[in-house]
Amino acid sequence: MTAARPVAGRTVGIGLALSRVGLALAIAFGGLAVGAGYWQVLRSPDLARSPDDAAVIAAARHAVRGVITDRDGKQLAWNAKDKNGEPYRLYASPALSGVIGYSSILWGQAGLERAWNAELTGAVSADPLFDLTRKFRIGGNDPEALRTTLVLALQEQAATLLGSDRGAVVMLDPRSGDVLAMVSSPDFDASKVANPATSNAAFKALQADPALPLLPRATQGTYVPGSVFKIVTSMAALGSGAVSVSTTFPDQPAAEKTGLLVDGFRIRDGHHPATGSKALNYTSAVEVSCNIWFAEAGLRTGGDQLASTAGELGFGGPLRFDLPTAASQVTGGGGSFGGGFQDAVELANAAYGQGETLVTPLQMALVAATVANGGVLMTPRLVLSATNKAGTTGFSPQVLRRVISAQVAGEIRDAMVRAVSGSLGRQYTAGAQVSGLQVAGKSGTAELDPGSDPHSWFIAFAPADDPQVAIAVIVEHGGHGSTRAAPIAGALLRAWRAWANG
Amino acid sequence: MTAGAAAGPRPAPLWGIRPRLRGRELGLLAIVGAAITVGSVALGATQRLAAAGDGTPSPATLFAPADVAILATYLGALLVAHLLLVLAGRRTDQVLLPAVGLLGGIGLLLMERLPQSLAGNLGGLARTQLVWLLIGVAIVAALAVAVRNDAWLRRYKYTWAAAGVTLLLLTFVFGRDVNGARLSLQIGPLTGQPSELLKVILVVFLAGYLSENRPLLVEESTRVGPLRLPPLPYLAPMVAMLAIALGIVVVERDLGAAMLFFLVFLLLLYVVTARVSYVAIGVAAFLAGGAVLYELFGVVRDRVNIWLDPFADAAGSGYQVIQALHAFARGGILGTGLGNGLPTIGGRPPIPALHTDFPLAALGEELGLVGVLAILGVYLVLIERGLRIAAAAEDEFRAILAAGLSLVIGVQAFIIAAGNLKLIPLTGITLPFISYGGSSLLANSVIVGLLIALSDRGREIKPPPAARRRFGRSGPLLGRAP
Repeated sequence: MTAARPVAGRTVGIGLALSRVGLALAIAFGGLAVGAGYWQVLRSPDLARSPDDAAVIAAARHAVRGVITDRDGKQLAWNAKDKNGEPYRLYASPALSGVIGYSSILWGQAGLERAWNAELTGAVSADPLFDLTRKFRIGGNDPEALRTTLVLALQEQAATLLGSDRGAVVMLDPRSGDVLAMVSSPDFDASKVANPATSNAAFKALQADPALPLLPRATQGTYVPGSVFKIVTSMAALGSGAVSVSTTFPDQPAAEKTGLLVDGFRIRDGHHPATGSKALNYTSAVEVSCNIWFAEAGLRTGGDQLASTAGELGFGGPLRFDLPTAASQVTGGGGSFGGGFQDAVELANAAYGQGETLVTPLQMALVAATVANGGVLMTPRLVLSATNKAGTTGFSPQVLRRVISAQVAGEIRDAMVRAVSGSLGRQYTAGAQVSGLQVAGKSGTAELDPGSDPHSWFIAFAPADDPQVAIAVIVEHGGHGSTRAAPIAGALLRAWRAWANG
Repeated sequence: MTAGAAAGPRPAPLWGIRPRLRGRELGLLAIVGAAITVGSVALGATQRLAAAGDGTPSPATLFAPADVAILATYLGALLVAHLLLVLAGRRTDQVLLPAVGLLGGIGLLLMERLPQSLAGNLGGLARTQLVWLLIGVAIVAALAVAVRNDAWLRRYKYTWAAAGVTLLLLTFVFGRDVNGARLSLQIGPLTGQPSELLKVILVVFLAGYLSENRPLLVEESTRVGPLRLPPLPYLAPMVAMLAIALGIVVVERDLGAAMLFFLVFLLLLYVVTARVSYVAIGVAAFLAGGAVLYELFGVVRDRVNIWLDPFADAAGSGYQVIQALHAFARGGILGTGLGNGLPTIGGRPPIPALHTDFPLAALGEELGLVGVLAILGVYLVLIERGLRIAAAAEDEFRAILAAGLSLVIGVQAFIIAAGNLKLIPLTGITLPFISYGGSSLLANSVIVGLLIALSDRGREIKPPPAARRRFGRSGPLLGRAP
């Protein structure tokens, strides 16, 4: 060895520095371990189940997909084999296209077929234990059959009632969040998209269709809500204590004729000849759907409160649901008036469902369901259980949160009952009445650009004293809420009763 | 350890050979061999099941190694290397060879499992990798046996530096572009990545320079007002060398190597001076340099932006990073099992540079979090052994050299693993001993071979008879040779 200059005493320094460097690297590798844990444990479920995952995509090309049934076991989607022996999907009804979607070798997946692609192909399992021990099994992929919350008969009935109109229906069990029916119109024959022989032509025709049949309107259509939004305003106003059921606004009767002046802008209303010069309380205001009353209530409640209550209902972002959903909004946002509103005018308009407010049909069904369930919002869901060779994994209903107190929910419910069966409300919503079933509901007529017919809305739940079903119906450009949406809701509630009574 | 062998009567030297048993190494190699054999059998069973389709083959044919020839050749090579070290009779480290053997074996299993057409011109991916591994094991053994004198390393440090820079310049002028980076140099039929060799040369140069100038670096400083800066005159040659290396690397777009060089330089400077302020200045310079590179070079900008939000262009630039994260996620805790993960789309894995840049993602999928943690653990063992060798070295040059060599492996493993896990921007650099590729394997084999040679604790002194009687036992009670 060549002679190194002896620097005794400094070698100790090197030793100490070496152990510190070693410690630093050990910490850095600890960071790597944490990073690996983050992706492989925390993020593993959502990434590995994602429809964009390569294994999920690869499995979907060849796997025999699990059968999808409705809640009573009726088959909604099953498999056939083409002349090459490759499996492809068949669907029970076009009415399902907006919720079940399709699965095609050429065009991929949509709807529940896409969201649960990983489980349906067996690329992952609904049972975490099965996934963990997958490597020790022979034939790792075990497709799962899904039992959904849907009722095929209600699904088909809703599609029939919507007919050739564009629109959507969402029917929920407010107690569990179970989606009983979810229909988007126009629908399409997903079996033709799935069948390799017809897939190309069918899908290209759907893509070119100006009616946008591929758009799942129930979850991804956003619409001006009109007066159905007054139920959201009610929750914010009554829930915060800004107004009570007995609150009246003295200038309201006069404003019916001249319009309500807000910041120099006049908010006008359809007239209520029947109520005359009487200042309305909350229940009457809901019954006759008084825009002026709700504009004033909204202003008194404030933009912050309205936006925050709406946020608790799910506005402002995608809903927690099996399918991807568009975000509903109270306002376009960015304003400084509170809650993102630009000014008092926008807030006053939003309070009765105009302004910049946009909602999905699913969101409005959840609004009705929250009132129906005594103020508690359940997470909406489409899948009851998943079954593979290893057994059945059931999913329990999940409470998302309490939005309003049971008392406020009761007050809103009473007003919605009056809106359907009160002496004045009846005039608007007669179509929603079902003999022998007390319905609580609210109609909406969403005013759009001049010259185009308004959207026709109706939200409801029944029976009013023990709600077991909630519903939202929208018919695009269907006119007043009373003309198209309310009768559809009434007919569907009759169909629901027939199904529920077995 | 081998107290008995040390004390017992030694076999008569045959042509000067004094064998010395290496019990711990043999034991660890046995464990490594068993682990790789189990992996190979698992992979074989999975592949046979997939090939059989619906019919399940009988267990007898099912449970056999995926490729007996590859397995036997590799394990045989490790055993031969062990025997050579035994014959050499040096008191050197017994953990490095098994640790490296395990990493190489895991990498070999991965190469057997990937589509063989991915790369390699010696009969597919796995066989080509096997050839490089055999050469690598030979290098480890040769250096561990033969390197006894370090004068050729320490004396010619500027020659080494010049050779390294020349190598890089050659690459810059004659090199071929791969994926936007000018990384590889072709000489006749051989192609290689000079930056891999350069990292070894750089450490040798730094060890020579730092050990020679250590007293000056520690005691002197340049005062600028109230600031105590490093003694600039003494740092200049080293900084110049580093700047040249970095500059060329940057021009060649080899960002991973640039980061590796810089971090190893910083850590070594700290080892020598024990001054945190130097590291702080270095980190500041690193960040400033990064900012400048971000502005100047599109490739740096792209890498950083992809790192910040790969999902912004999920189908384009962010694709392979996202696919790697999906692979980790699919693996979960226990993994899918060798051969069961990594879906192929059109016969190719979704990550194009899987075998070179993303082996950890692939192993994360098939071996799970458990496997990833085990692999990270093996790297930590390598680092720990290397730093231990440095701490026990008999002079500063050897200490800094050993520290630098082990830091190169540790830091390189960290950079690529962190890039795979999206903890830092991804740079194209290999995972030592696991990634596919000759240059990387050869350079890292040189490092391990040198480390084993540096760990030589010299000849034992026989304890005096009196001591033997008093303690009733024998052994290497007196640590190191004078």
